[in-house]
Amino acid sequence: MTDKKAKKLDLSITNETVFSFVKTFIAILIALAITFVVLCVVSKNPVNAFITILTGALRKTRYIGLVLERTVPYTFAGLACGLLFKAGFFNLGAEGIFVMSGLIISIVAINPITTSPILHPLIAIVCGALVGGVLMLIPAYFKAKFNANELVISLMLNSIYVAIATYVVRNYFLSQSTSLIATPTFLETATIGYIIDKYHVSIMFILMLIAVIGLQFVLKKTKFGYQVRLAGTNPNFAEYSGIDSFKLAMKTNFIAGMLAGIGSAAQILTQASNFQPSTTVTNIGFTGSLLAMLGRNNPIGILVSTFFIKYLEQGTSVLYYNDTSVPSEIIAIVQGVVVLLVSSQYFLKKFREKKLLQEGLNEHE
Amino acid sequence: MSNLFTLEFITVIIRLTTPILFASLASFAAAVTGIGNIAIEGIMTMSALFGIIGSNLTQSAVLGTLIGVLIGVVIAMSIAFFSMRLGANAVLVGIAMNTFSSSLALFILYQFTGEKGSSASLLAPTLGSWNIPVIKDIPILGTLLSGHLVLVYVSVILALLFYILTYKTPLGMRMRACGLNPDAAKTAGINVQRLQVLSLIFSGIFAALGGIYLSMNYGKIYVNGIVAGQGWMGIAANGVANGSYGLLLIAALVFGAFRAFAIKVNIPRFGDLVGAVPYFAVFVTIIALAIINTIKVKKGNVAEQ
Amino acid sequence: MAETILKLEKITKVYGNGVVANRDVNIEFKKGEIHSIVGENGAGKSTLMKIIFGIEEPSSGTVEYKGKPANFHGSMEAIKAGIGMVHQHFMLIPSFSVVDNIILGDEPVKGLFIDKASAVKKTQELSDKYNFELNVNDLVSTLSVAKRQKVEILKTLYRDAELIILDEPTSVLTPQETQELFEQLRGFTKQGHTIIFISHKLDEVKQISDRITVLRNGVSKGTYNNDELTMAQLTNLIIDRDLENDMDEFKTHKDFGGKNALEVRNIVMKHHSKNILDDISFAVKKGEILGVAGVDGNGQVDLVKTIVGLEQVEYSGDVIINGEKVNDKTVKERRNMGMAYIPEDRMVDGISGTLPISDNMVSTYYDRDDVSKGALLDNKAISRISDELIEKFAVKAKNNAVAVGSLSGGNVQKVVVAREHNTIPNLMIAEQPTHGIDIGSAELVHHKLIELRNEGAGVLLVSADLNEVIDISDRIIVMFEGHIAGYFPDANNIDETELGMYMLGVKRQTPEEIGGALND
Repeated sequence: MTDKKAKKLDLSITNETVFSFVKTFIAILIALAITFVVLCVVSKNPVNAFITILTGALRKTRYIGLVLERTVPYTFAGLACGLLFKAGFFNLGAEGIFVMSGLIISIVAINPITTSPILHPLIAIVCGALVGGVLMLIPAYFKAKFNANELVISLMLNSIYVAIATYVVRNYFLSQSTSLIATPTFLETATIGYIIDKYHVSIMFILMLIAVIGLQFVLKKTKFGYQVRLAGTNPNFAEYSGIDSFKLAMKTNFIAGMLAGIGSAAQILTQASNFQPSTTVTNIGFTGSLLAMLGRNNPIGILVSTFFIKYLEQGTSVLYYNDTSVPSEIIAIVQGVVVLLVSSQYFLKKFREKKLLQEGLNEHE
Repeated sequence: MSNLFTLEFITVIIRLTTPILFASLASFAAAVTGIGNIAIEGIMTMSALFGIIGSNLTQSAVLGTLIGVLIGVVIAMSIAFFSMRLGANAVLVGIAMNTFSSSLALFILYQFTGEKGSSASLLAPTLGSWNIPVIKDIPILGTLLSGHLVLVYVSVILALLFYILTYKTPLGMRMRACGLNPDAAKTAGINVQRLQVLSLIFSGIFAALGGIYLSMNYGKIYVNGIVAGQGWMGIAANGVANGSYGLLLIAALVFGAFRAFAIKVNIPRFGDLVGAVPYFAVFVTIIALAIINTIKVKKGNVAEQ
Repeated sequence: MAETILKLEKITKVYGNGVVANRDVNIEFKKGEIHSIVGENGAGKSTLMKIIFGIEEPSSGTVEYKGKPANFHGSMEAIKAGIGMVHQHFMLIPSFSVVDNIILGDEPVKGLFIDKASAVKKTQELSDKYNFELNVNDLVSTLSVAKRQKVEILKTLYRDAELIILDEPTSVLTPQETQELFEQLRGFTKQGHTIIFISHKLDEVKQISDRITVLRNGVSKGTYNNDELTMAQLTNLIIDRDLENDMDEFKTHKDFGGKNALEVRNIVMKHHSKNILDDISFAVKKGEILGVAGVDGNGQVDLVKTIVGLEQVEYSGDVIINGEKVNDKTVKERRNMGMAYIPEDRMVDGISGTLPISDNMVSTYYDRDDVSKGALLDNKAISRISDELIEKFAVKAKNNAVAVGSLSGGNVQKVVVAREHNTIPNLMIAEQPTHGIDIGSAELVHHKLIELRNEGAGVLLVSADLNEVIDISDRIIVMFEGHIAGYFPDANNIDETELGMYMLGVKRQTPEEIGGALND
């Protein structure tokens, strides 16, 4: 009896998943409405500007390509943060991992260690992933062993990593051809080309899809995913149930660090020509935490949210070409409002409760 | 190295401590009622920008400062709104506010100046220094006490006033009670949530002044990325202080001194690393405190959580 | 008799989740009396007090205070009207001084500042007047539990409370302290205060009360003069069954070779250099239920944590499961040896409220072959097992996808017990397994524990509920202040009052007698 009930597809608003979709959708509408109001203030032609933001990305195939390409590193960042949040860690270390992995990837990319255009980026990616995984273990270790606040530790590490990367580049890998603190240009063999030129689809894009689906599978279907679920929703309960929280913390953070490291490679080897510690990968990790919130820490949700934000961002870039009164940072409004509303527990809650009550009454009849 | 211990160096320490002191007070003010405000960095950014813009619009540094503070209060209250009214996780709201602020600041800066780098093109009066009559003429003491930037004095006075408020007045006692045992506060008839909102507003004011100090007193323009982690240092100072006001002030001063040290001690090649010393200090302190606490629990000297 | 100070008329309270806490309760409290409200856990005492104190609003019915309708909104209004409450869990701030705790919310001021001098003077005078022997400048964290309670009482007196509600005030006190408290309470009534005394310790209730109101399942069973009631009558009013509700009939008596499922030897643990566990030794045999009786807070929590492997504080002594020393083994390793554990605080340790029932049903054996294959979970099997357990343990839920947190307390506990039962344990640690749940659920839990015992598992039952311990245990030990105060080899042959004396520290057996807990 109960089995059948559980399996029936429940599309009513009282269903948790459906409700969160509706909630996100309404949050987006509100955010877009606010954006429109802002446009009315700053732009001479707000309607046109608004339409451009919504559809600008579709105007050229190259734009779609840019959206797809930029989705990749941010999705990796979102996956890293989402996994950490899901496991109950407020670790914002992804930002620093992007920098340190970026440093290693760049060092590999400027050195002729191999002439193979396949092996060279592969080595870079693997190095980036490993460095990311290992460095993420630092806040994880102190959190798991001594309950040290991983949020502050990871934030301090972010600053420390930028300093280290700057130091290393300035003193050992400084480009002679620019006045910036930057590495020399990457070798041709190290950069990653496109598989589908028209849409800027590279092997990193495929890797991202694999990561999204893989992580979704791992979280839903495996013992490890189950452990993450328990520890993330109630660490006491996980401990009580006999889950080795230390091991779990190390595993989750290592995987998250690897994801961030690969994301860094996606940014650096497809979209940059050299590495500048203070700009090349800045803010990707932090944005990842917002994307994770938007996607409710669900891998597919994160991918969709990232694509959505990058899509609108491309629209705002297009708008900026035509109407310089509106810089692309306007996307921050959409992002901020949506994130705040989606993470608000009570937003639309009354509405849902009313429906629930109604449903309860109907059931009685 | 010999110029390390000059009066001038002490002045540098004071100048660099001030924003961290403001940020530390901001973190402490929220924590007093049990709220973790991690949006200090974002508030500082927005207030730094709005201070300059306000000053530009009104052509008055004082009015500009007030506008900057107002923005800080608005952000603090929206944090309260989202975390208390709408039940969003306070840490996530803080992260969102920080990220939101840095992009929004760019957007607004661009609207006013047409560029994304700095507010250099905005003509805005800024706050100056203050020479204390009589004292300024006393040797050594005069250099030590007089001639500092206005907000330096404001920070010291506010630190003192907030101490008195927190530890000597009924309001302060009630605020502390909210942080230490909200249930006890509630049964004593205290409206815990209202005081938490109030403490967030205090936090917003302090953070705002920290930002304004950077753009309108220490510097003269708003520059992108002007806050550069000093809000986080305030949060770290509060973490190290662990509820003690005295330790909070000491931590802020030590972190300020670290920054001064990093700037002043120009070790060739290692300059970048020296700049990270304060962050490393926080990193080590927090871990050390956590380890000590773990040992205490093990020895049965701390009530377990 | 004296005038009525507080009158409850037809008070009904239904919570949002449909739980009826009080139904048509009528009580009159007279000025200057000590009026006890008695009833089992969950009888509705707490809710009723919350209504009087303005923390909860009644769904229907009226409260009349001093002849005027008084539906207080929030405790502040109740406090202003002259009602004070001493909560069971102290509402004190340990890092504040006594005087600061007392004046909090009603501080004397001089200009903008707290007038500390007059506050100290006033509170010290108050303390001296009632012989509380407190130094009001001391930090609360340095005070004994009994002194902290005095601070709580002073808080109400400072606010000129005429009616003082004491919620289970003696649960944390030693017998001497209890007697001292009672004397003080009598003193209060002489000065015109009215006392509402909430307790489930009948001897104390009989000793202190003028009148007694009995609550059962949220309904009043009447108000009686103390001298009209015998202990047996009172007991019958409170518990909805005969005193002899022994579950013996469900017990079978097979021989499991007298082997020990659990042995605890010479456990010593210190908190702040005070012995919180003081040389504890006992054994749980296969096929028996060993009851650990005792008032909450006498070391039971740390004892259980030590046994299950969740203790963070260092200790000496040995924990032995199935003959193997497990001191250095993790929770998981102990569970793999056949240990199961029903935790005291089910919402904090026993479930994850936001996850569905199915996830909560397998947390302690999700890696077992029947619910997983290699690295993968068998979600179908988990769903099927959950459904089976929901049915077998009569969990009231729409389906297994419902979040556990949305269930009632009794049903949550059934989920916990079902899961632990399904680990097929040979050692079950049951910590306050029926605390705060309805009678039906409690009965089911008891039957399941006995079932395990009959199948040869050793069951350690730690409970502050004396009836429960006596009803289902085979042997009983009593804990008091970290040591074993008494050992009763036959739970069927126990004088309840006698046992109570050990619980309250009045009596203590010799080490030889207590040694039976380990060696019998």
